[in-house]
Amino acid sequence: MEPLISMQSVTKEYRGVAAIRNVDFTLQRGEIHALLGENGAGKSTLTKIMAGVTQISSGKMLLDGKGVSFATPAQALANGVAMVFQETSLVPSMSVAQNLFLGEEKLFNRLRGIYIAAQQFMESLNFHVDPWASVATLGAAKKQMVEIARAVQQKARVIIFDEPTASLTPEEKRHFFSLLANLKQRGVSIVFISHALEEALFIADRITILRDGELVVTDDTSAFDRDKIIRAMVGRSLSGELYKKEGEHPTRKPGKKVLSVQNLSMSRVVKNNSFTVYGGQVTGIFGLIGSGRTETAKILAGIVKRDFFHGGEVLLNGKSVRYRVPRQAVKDGIVYVTEDRKIEGFFETMSIAENIYQAAKAADVVPGTIVRMSEMKELADHWTKALNIKAIDSNARVIELSGGNQQKVVIAKSLVQKPEVIIFDEPTRGVDVGAISEIHQLINKLADESFAIVVISSYLPEILSISDRILVSQAGRIVEEFSPQEATEERIMYAAVH
Amino acid sequence: MLAAVTRMIDRFRGSGEAAVTVPPMDGSLRPNFRIENVPLLLPAEAPDNLVADAGKILFSSRHRIMEFDRQGGSAAERQSLASEVTFLAAHATGALAVGLAEGEILIRGGPHDGVTMADIGGRKILCATAATFADADTLLVCLGSQQFPAVDWKRDLMSKNASGSVWRIDLKTKAATCLADRLAYPYGIVVDARGQVIVSESWRHRILLVGEKTPQTLFGDLPAYPARLVADPQSDEIWLSAFAPRLQLVEFVLREDEYRTRMMRELDPEWWIAPSLHHPASFLEPLQGGGLKQLGELKPWAPSRSYGLVVRLDAECQPIESFHSRANGTRHGVTSCLPDGDSVIIASKGGNALIAVER
Repeated sequence: MEPLISMQSVTKEYRGVAAIRNVDFTLQRGEIHALLGENGAGKSTLTKIMAGVTQISSGKMLLDGKGVSFATPAQALANGVAMVFQETSLVPSMSVAQNLFLGEEKLFNRLRGIYIAAQQFMESLNFHVDPWASVATLGAAKKQMVEIARAVQQKARVIIFDEPTASLTPEEKRHFFSLLANLKQRGVSIVFISHALEEALFIADRITILRDGELVVTDDTSAFDRDKIIRAMVGRSLSGELYKKEGEHPTRKPGKKVLSVQNLSMSRVVKNNSFTVYGGQVTGIFGLIGSGRTETAKILAGIVKRDFFHGGEVLLNGKSVRYRVPRQAVKDGIVYVTEDRKIEGFFETMSIAENIYQAAKAADVVPGTIVRMSEMKELADHWTKALNIKAIDSNARVIELSGGNQQKVVIAKSLVQKPEVIIFDEPTRGVDVGAISEIHQLINKLADESFAIVVISSYLPEILSISDRILVSQAGRIVEEFSPQEATEERIMYAAVH
Repeated sequence: MLAAVTRMIDRFRGSGEAAVTVPPMDGSLRPNFRIENVPLLLPAEAPDNLVADAGKILFSSRHRIMEFDRQGGSAAERQSLASEVTFLAAHATGALAVGLAEGEILIRGGPHDGVTMADIGGRKILCATAATFADADTLLVCLGSQQFPAVDWKRDLMSKNASGSVWRIDLKTKAATCLADRLAYPYGIVVDARGQVIVSESWRHRILLVGEKTPQTLFGDLPAYPARLVADPQSDEIWLSAFAPRLQLVEFVLREDEYRTRMMRELDPEWWIAPSLHHPASFLEPLQGGGLKQLGELKPWAPSRSYGLVVRLDAECQPIESFHSRANGTRHGVTSCLPDGDSVIIASKGGNALIAVER
């Protein structure tokens, strides 16, 4: 039978770097196809190409046997391909019915007619959602239902779900899986991205695994078990070139207990999370997206707040601390190097010097309110040299730098604040190979100098190569700890998905 | 004023001092099965107070002092006393200090043979929990409580009592100097390689340096209730025993005064929601016996109230290594240990066992 979608030797490059490379993928009619892989394996890129969010660099995509290339999501939708994103694209202030028919309004609309049509349509799908309800008041599962209904209403033959169950409760998940079965019966083909392997094994007809932008295997679900999937997801051959293999670097002994996180809770994202950070060590935290690592780090750094009641406790050098704003944390010596440097890391139109200087001012490392240019230059020159930031001079704007050098500026901004605890969140994401090595050297040097370092990373070789102890986060809490000697990619991944 | 307001807010929010939180066992304290997975050295009734006395290993078993023959794997009674032995301390001169539950300290052997004390510095000895010789003429003693005897330690904890003290006694003159007072159950004492006096304060879960000045915390916020300390003869390290884990439930009960006092009034201490020395043996025990099988491994569904933990501390009293008997184990209530050659002998008071773990 001719597949509904066939992708042949598809490559997608971003500024010369391939996100996916020569990937062949087929989607049959009426099948549920799970797409699995580590963070950054290329799952989202592949599905975004299908949905017209991004375009192919080379290779071709066939729909019903005909070559297609969608320039926009609207074009893809017109051809029956819809994508349901992790963050729903509904308008929260509008009702369910209004969202359902958004973009298809006629010149004159009879509101009552829209609501009746919406109700009939939702009932036909066996979705029990009030069409009059405001989307903002709906839970995650009901929002998913509205999103799915919108895709079906727009005559989608292919629906792509990106991590649909990440924010659902177990009960909502069961409901969601029955919805998928319902859609499958209607002949809709489904692409399903998930980190939860059990879900894929439970619901999918076929499974495709990507790794480092390349297709590893596609087969019927019956040919897989959990261990086989994990092996396919993490097995790398090139990782040794950049990252040392596990156990190759000497492990530092723990220094004094600097930070003790006890039963930390925040909403449904961080749940009763406890761990300790020691001085003179790199504590690596691995976890899949949504496992609450970043949120925990942001609570520690005063960026977000823990639960108001019984939110747990954070002890810094034995003293209970609770920060309302990052400035208080910075003054106490906790800095957070963000994973999203462009949004949270720097002022992109300001120079390197201005960025570093304002960080020093914010931490009162440079006292007073008067800006002294000589002081700014001195500080910038020092850090530019110390971190080997490659720029014409320290007056270069940060936006003009490469990803690696931008990251070094973010790190310099943190180090200038004279911290005791440094939390690196995905320190080498979007950073070129040369800079990765430099950043790793810097992190190791800081640990050798007795700083308490936390490195959050979704990339297993990085965690294995840089950490003195490895914590695994899952569903909002630390669930396992490994020493570098006993840790393997399989063991860490096993802990992260169970 | 501001502190009072902060405390009030903390009580309302369950944060700060009012937080019902416990530190995790991770890093050097990461759980393992090293106490559980070694063969039994000797079955013994409530073994405690391991000491090395002139090349021999002594321990207490209720009211008896036993001599352990490691080669032969047997123990012989050296002495039987009138009441339960609460501590033993030996010195190279052959002196053996013995604490008794009935409120006495006896010195047997050595230059001060026959000395008996019923009070220290004017305080009646009610709960002598630990002692060590600083030199042949000086004994350092921990009095765990001034309100409850050592056998009633659980009541002392659940009463949130802090009437413990640490004393230096000149055995020649019987003069006693108080090194620290108002401690919450000092349970272990050792003189480190630098001659400093280090004490474990059990109910406040910390290791203290005591001396002329205010006690200084060397290692605080332990995830378990610390018991006795012993110096390693081969290095400047110290070994710490801990007999029960800290639990959120117990921390919570400690905050709920009305519930706690009623529980203490109406229930036998064995069934209190409080730390315990022994692993679950009865269905009556609160939240101990249940378990569930997850991924082929039987796991307790509620954390155990008892535990076995031995921690190797460096010269700065920071943990280097630890040995555990976990929730599903039986060698709980570890109150004493003794480095002996390449191994550490561990007394599991709750598990009625002596074991040796290679270090």
